Amino acid sequence: MLYVVLFFTVLSFFLYVLLGGADFGAGILEMFSGAEHKKSIKKTVYSVLGPVWEANHIWIIILIVILWIAFPAFYNVVIIYLHIPLTLVLLGITLRGVAFVFRHYDAVKDKTQHLYDRMFEFSCLVTPIFLGMTFGTLLHGDIMLLEDSPNADFYALYIHPWLQPFPIFTGFFFSALCVFLSATFLIGEAKDYEKRMYMRKAGIATLVVVVLGMATLIAGYIAGNEFTQEFLSNYYALGAVTLSGLLLYPLWKSIRIGRIIYCRFFAGLQVLLILFAAIGIHYPNLIITRSGEISLLANRAPDAVISVLGISLIIGGLLIIPGLLHLLKSFRMIKILEERD
Amino acid sequence: MDNLDAARMQMAFTLIFHIVFACIGMVMPFFMVISHYKWLKTRKPEFLTLTKSWQKGVAIFFVTGAVSGTALSFELGLLWPNFMKYAGPIIGMPFSLEGAAFFIEAVALGFYLYGWNKIPERFHLLTGVIVGVSGVLSGILVVSANSWMNAPSGFDYVNGQFINIDPVAAFLNPAWFAQALHMTLAAFAATSFAVAGIHAWQIYKGRNTVVHKTAFNIAIVFGAIAALLQPLSGDYSAKDIAERQPAKLAALEAHYKTEKGAPLYIGGIVNEDTHQVTHKIEIPKALSFLAFGDFDAEVKGLNDFPEQDRPPVAITHYAFQVMVGLGTLLMLAAAVYLISLKKRTWQDNKRYWLYFAVMAPVGFLALEAGWIVTEVGRQPWIIHNVMRTKDAVTPMPGMIYSFYMYVFLYVILSISVTWLMARQIKVLNTTQTS
Repeated sequence: MLYVVLFFTVLSFFLYVLLGGADFGAGILEMFSGAEHKKSIKKTVYSVLGPVWEANHIWIIILIVILWIAFPAFYNVVIIYLHIPLTLVLLGITLRGVAFVFRHYDAVKDKTQHLYDRMFEFSCLVTPIFLGMTFGTLLHGDIMLLEDSPNADFYALYIHPWLQPFPIFTGFFFSALCVFLSATFLIGEAKDYEKRMYMRKAGIATLVVVVLGMATLIAGYIAGNEFTQEFLSNYYALGAVTLSGLLLYPLWKSIRIGRIIYCRFFAGLQVLLILFAAIGIHYPNLIITRSGEISLLANRAPDAVISVLGISLIIGGLLIIPGLLHLLKSFRMIKILEERD
Repeated sequence: MDNLDAARMQMAFTLIFHIVFACIGMVMPFFMVISHYKWLKTRKPEFLTLTKSWQKGVAIFFVTGAVSGTALSFELGLLWPNFMKYAGPIIGMPFSLEGAAFFIEAVALGFYLYGWNKIPERFHLLTGVIVGVSGVLSGILVVSANSWMNAPSGFDYVNGQFINIDPVAAFLNPAWFAQALHMTLAAFAATSFAVAGIHAWQIYKGRNTVVHKTAFNIAIVFGAIAALLQPLSGDYSAKDIAERQPAKLAALEAHYKTEKGAPLYIGGIVNEDTHQVTHKIEIPKALSFLAFGDFDAEVKGLNDFPEQDRPPVAITHYAFQVMVGLGTLLMLAAAVYLISLKKRTWQDNKRYWLYFAVMAPVGFLALEAGWIVTEVGRQPWIIHNVMRTKDAVTPMPGMIYSFYMYVFLYVILSISVTWLMARQIKVLNTTQTS
């Protein structure tokens, strides 16, 4: 059952990054677009994400719930020492959610729409930065545990670990990834004259991803963090990242010939490879502190808990996934049929 | 305010908001579905107008409920990391099932909101039913986690260690049924009276009465039934508390002295220093009867509990009085509605509508008061008789700033949602239905 639980942990993490990430990316795209594109992006995003936009964000709740049930002592460290960035993530998630729904369900469309738009765009930018920062902090190695350093002050315990170049660059890198995902996902949805715009934006995002990815590694290297050193000397990690880079070619090809499904598949795969490289090399010791590493697996709940959780997840999965796929499929079919008319 | 109090205030504050959003999101889909069903049956345009207007309400409340719920799922850990470290695995089952139910609700809502004129009518209606059912289901499931804190089970607590964990036994803890029943009825009563009251106000003002009367009639039925059933469920809950949490019972009744044939206090001002309750109405032997079904049963008083194990008495007692008092008002309102079904002329009187408009907030006030009773009444424990709230709080200082931030955020959120609803109604009033 442990493997079932791990499967769902990884699944919800990946799906949140891919789907939730693309949602955030759409807001960032909107933010960095001129007035003439803003409206069309907003419309496209609504028609694509509309039916599933809430479902996309439930994956993080599933992830959090799995973590606290199955890996309580591991989660305990995350939630105590990353209190501040996580609170900011929450703030962002809240504002993004309400801004999205307000701008589409407000009965009167007037000037307040601008306010909703700004709120939506801003929270879409900020949330993935702090999410990425949280992730970067776990691997950066500056977390100090209270029991090891009882006299450490507030700054050293709760701010210093994440206010470092490596976690900050990880945050920006992650938001660039979100934009990349979003732009490539949206190419398939766009009308012809917009396709070029999304392609251009996807191109810029790719460039930014590469630059920020390198900057993150350089920051980690300068800080001498263990994770970066391992990353740079691990063939699997380097291989995964290289492969991810090479996939740009088939991605570009499939955009050219208009094969939307392939194009999404490649973009998703590229991001998954990067995530795999980031998580894989240090698994299961996913938290690095100043005084040692904290393993996900060694801090798991008793077997009885894992079994029950595994069964719950299988039942939940069997109920949800067909529904979700049906939802996606139905609206895709409808869209295709409408376009044919 | 120290760190513990700030964390408690933040938790209380966020839950007080979440509970409103969540209850409306749970109950309103039922109104929407009934109106939708009537539209399919009768094809009267007012039902379609109403269904579409309510679905926007459902969407807005679903989202505010969802984001405040997401916030809570983090806050449990952010504020009470040591509680989650030990309790998380034990009460994980209801949370994971709630997550699943909630997910199904989100998927069904996706179908519903975007399905107009796109998917078959009956399937469309069915997705609306699924939204409602899975919403109520997630409410019932998540209450299991709270009732576990009142009636911890499914583990052995030996030398400060939680061993022999049985998540299923924890999930099916003995207080669950009583609490889930009481909470579900409360959600229906509160939401129905609030919705009916808002439409009653519009009728009172003479705006688009066809649609608003249709709306009122759908909502009030749920409210009336729930309000009339609630006292029975309350009695059941009280007996459960009497057996399981005698200190909470004593606090909510402000009962200090252990005695046989204990009297029931109605109202009263509690002095926590002198242990006196003044200005009360006393009904002899009633507490013994209500708690144990026997006029001469012994009810344990607060004085028999060690000082450090007693909940704050005054808040618990006042909140309980408010809950029962407002619940009684709701029952009366339910009776007025039922009589008006016979005496049709009542509905021609404007004061009838004013009365229901005034009743709009009563259900939610009672619900919040009840929430305060159960949460404050459990103190000083976060897990009854196992872990104290002060031992669960985060070691990070400065929680007061986090509290201020949440207050700011939620106040803004509430103002926006209220304002959006007002705009929704304004548009509804200008919609032509005939």
